[in-house]
Amino acid sequence: MSTRIDSAVSALVLDEARLIDQKRWAEWLMLYTEDAVFWMPSWKDETHTTDDPELQLNLIYLPNRQGLEDRIYRIETGDSFASVPLDRTTHVVGGALVTGESPAGIQAWAGWIVHTYGYRGTTTRSGSYEYLLRETAEGLRIARKKVVMIDDRLEGAVDVYHV
Amino acid sequence: MALQDKLAALVDEGKDAFRVDRSVYFDPEIFEAELASIFEGGWIYLCHESQIASAGDYFTTRMGRQPVFVVRRRNGEIGAFINACAHRGATLALHEHGNAGAFTCRFHGWSFAHDGRCIRIKNEETGGYANPACRDEFSLTPVPRVESYRGFVFGSLRADVGPLGDMLGPTRPWIDLMVDQSPQGLEILPGASTYVIHGNWKMQAENGVDGYHVSTVHKVFAQTLAQREAKLGLSGLQRTEHGRITGNVASAGYDFGHGHMAIWATHSDPTKRPVYAERERLAQTMSPAQLDWLLNRGRNLYLFPNVLLMDNPSTQVRTIQPISPDRAEVTVRCIAPIGENREARAARLRKFEDFYLTTGMATSDDLAALEATHAGGYGRAARWNHFARGAVGTMHGAENADAMAIGCEPDSSTANWDHETFYHGFYRYWKKRLLDSPEVR
Repeated sequence: MSTRIDSAVSALVLDEARLIDQKRWAEWLMLYTEDAVFWMPSWKDETHTTDDPELQLNLIYLPNRQGLEDRIYRIETGDSFASVPLDRTTHVVGGALVTGESPAGIQAWAGWIVHTYGYRGTTTRSGSYEYLLRETAEGLRIARKKVVMIDDRLEGAVDVYHV
Repeated sequence: MALQDKLAALVDEGKDAFRVDRSVYFDPEIFEAELASIFEGGWIYLCHESQIASAGDYFTTRMGRQPVFVVRRRNGEIGAFINACAHRGATLALHEHGNAGAFTCRFHGWSFAHDGRCIRIKNEETGGYANPACRDEFSLTPVPRVESYRGFVFGSLRADVGPLGDMLGPTRPWIDLMVDQSPQGLEILPGASTYVIHGNWKMQAENGVDGYHVSTVHKVFAQTLAQREAKLGLSGLQRTEHGRITGNVASAGYDFGHGHMAIWATHSDPTKRPVYAERERLAQTMSPAQLDWLLNRGRNLYLFPNVLLMDNPSTQVRTIQPISPDRAEVTVRCIAPIGENREARAARLRKFEDFYLTTGMATSDDLAALEATHAGGYGRAARWNHFARGAVGTMHGAENADAMAIGCEPDSSTANWDHETFYHGFYRYWKKRLLDSPEVR
């Protein structure tokens, strides 16, 4: 399989990181299609994540954009014990690699490190993103995002903005 | 100060109050005594049988500070051993869980059978051993007591403890309500989440049966799901009982003795529970009281000292591993009736992910609340935690006819999960265990 760097894909992936770190939630959500799936599997053992999001345990499995909107709703109420005050984050996302193209869209991969600072101290977590991107009237949008977090002994709560 | 004197001053049982000194969460001497007397000195939960279903399946964990593995033998029996080679102590069972025909040490290549016998010493014949039958001396050290109750495996590093059933006592009908949901029993589903809490292990024990926080800490969870359901127009099992969290439903809190505690609260709409579709089948084998308890009440059960069994909209096994006075490791797993239909299984998992994970929208808030009590606990000039709610209205033993209807006799109970009297039983038993230990005597 051939891979390549695509500037539009890289721009989208980096833009997502920027909007999260700047907590521009409404703009961030608009990067996703309404039917976008957000999936972060859990670990079955030291080397394998769960691979059937329907019938196995996921750390996060949101079958449409409303799931992400729920997370932002909860944060913005100011009533979530874990989200007041919000942690500061820096997403460092490596160059996004286009790994495939099909009628469903463009597949892309990127590695990530997120450094978090908050009332609990500092934490660094890392992993990878697998994207399915779709061309829409508004431009390139995220139709599916799989997040693998290598950390499996979590320090503190991990919300969608921490990964 | 001797530990006896220290402990006597930590739990203050006045006529009108029950107070616990916050140093129980911080004192290193108490923590060491807890490891020796409680986690390495009596029954603790190890794993579920479904995690070691086949011969050679093993599961690694710790009992206090001691690494152990639990293994299924070819004859179906379950054993557990200190996870260290009999030769020079290298870790033997390598993975979190796996399957092994025999356990072979990666250091010098010695092998051990499922029953702990040494079956191979590398270069034994040229070893120059003084005793030609030396292999017999090199068996693994067994965990002396291993027993199961309805699929839940427990072990004790002390041999002279009573039967597991006596330890579980009146919690057994509660465990049965969970297990009897499927004729084939329960299974742990693939995947897990482990997290480190900045706090003492007892804070997790308390938090797991604290009904009082639900309407404050989880109000935001209820609101969030209410707006989701309104926007998406969800139906069936995709709906939740967000009204129950903020509403007024019947509830209760139980002190089961032996440090076990429990709470239940009525479901506002049991049709949203994955088990509800099974009600007609269940009615054939269960009494009306059992069926009522199973379908209509969400139940959190804490089994002293290290496991919580939760049967609410989803079902959970949560284990607690003490690390240091101010750190504990918690692992949550989803447990489910074997053979349940795909729709119910998926709904059970989605409800689990929404609520029960630190990557979810409720346990994350629980963790923050727990850690806030830890942070505040450093304010040692403020000495006491208060467990005073429910002092009036406590029922004793069989006075609770509602519980007796399922054959369950708590030591004491109150008809409100906002109450705190069950913690009295926890701390009395905790103190007793520390004072009864050989180290202290």
